[in-house]
Amino acid sequence: MMVFPDDLLYSREHTWARVDGNLVTIGITDYGQDKLGEILNLDLPEVDTYVEQDEPFGIIESAKTVTELISPVSGDVVRVNDDITDDVGIINSDPYDTGWLIVVEMKDASELDNLLDSTEYNDYVLGEEGLD
Amino acid sequence: MKNWRIIPYGTFSAFENMAMDEAVFRGNQQGTSPPTLRFYDWQPSAVSLGYFQVLESEINVSYCRENNIDIVRRPTGGKAVFHEDDLTYSLVSRENIPPFSPGILGTYLIISRCILEGIADLGVRAEMAEESRSSGGEGPASHCFSFPSRYELLVDGRKICGSAQTRSNGAFLQHGSLLLRFDPFKALSVVTQNVASEEQASLLKKSVTSLSDHIAVQADPALIAGILKASFEKILQVQFVEGSLTEAEEAVRDELLQNKYHTDIWNRSGSTRMNNY
Repeated sequence: MMVFPDDLLYSREHTWARVDGNLVTIGITDYGQDKLGEILNLDLPEVDTYVEQDEPFGIIESAKTVTELISPVSGDVVRVNDDITDDVGIINSDPYDTGWLIVVEMKDASELDNLLDSTEYNDYVLGEEGLD
Repeated sequence: MKNWRIIPYGTFSAFENMAMDEAVFRGNQQGTSPPTLRFYDWQPSAVSLGYFQVLESEINVSYCRENNIDIVRRPTGGKAVFHEDDLTYSLVSRENIPPFSPGILGTYLIISRCILEGIADLGVRAEMAEESRSSGGEGPASHCFSFPSRYELLVDGRKICGSAQTRSNGAFLQHGSLLLRFDPFKALSVVTQNVASEEQASLLKKSVTSLSDHIAVQADPALIAGILKASFEKILQVQFVEGSLTEAEEAVRDELLQNKYHTDIWNRSGSTRMNNY
């Protein structure tokens, strides 16, 4: 059973955003990690890197593919979860908590309007699943 | 029946092969290139590294240099592959063009069916690995053929075709290497820092096989490419029409050759990459 917490916003690229003022914590959704399978490697940006909404901010490798991580918002990276680079499997086991990836200082809060709430994201995932 | 493009079998350098595949991949990301299948060889012989592999710790660079073996980093994931007696394929498509879908494993399943059908026409009966094995194989951890992943092809429990993939902007590029012949000493020598022992070679041979182990005739890559083209058409329900890179793709290929695949920074970099190049 996939979990999409109500207090998060979601991108169509399967990243989540936890908004706290202008700070946005970003991670991979439960559906995203499940779709990727066993996660093996991860490249994240350094602090102070500027990331843009809908643009890649990192690269992730699972047992089956290499793909870009797409940022749900624009802004400067202010924190990176260094703990997971030694144990990337945390993203599979705990995607919404200890499996967070980066914190971004958001530049434009109106970008949040482009994201989905949990119900909308659930519907989006069901649509994508229907294609499989 | 839909027409997709096939670029005729050819032999290129490691760097040209990767630049061509990425040019087609980028064209598919932008929606300007058609789904494209390519079968090819490598001249000189080469070892291709998975996107995240660390060159110095996983490849015997001095052995490769002494034996005129090129080293290139793939845009796709996975482990190191020695390209000498193999036939490589690349398939690029938008991920939502039937019969494909956004599901990663589904793509592997479909492409594995294509290969399975093709080698069955050669008289080799393969089966798909049911589950991934990321450890516990019979060879070095950095070697692609040491461990089968789900839906990769096995003959009598030994891996014959390895594959790897990358996805971006709604498109995918999948690489695969079908072994025509297999020399475990050479395969080990490119990925181990010391001379391979008889014991290591014997162990690796237990988990790897090649077409020449199963068919009496010489496994000719151009002939096999033709047979596989037919099996891809049958399974994918498309017709492959021979074509070449477009002018736009050639320009991207040339730029990638110069600024990416011919550079040490791309081929050697471990954790630091040319992201967003």
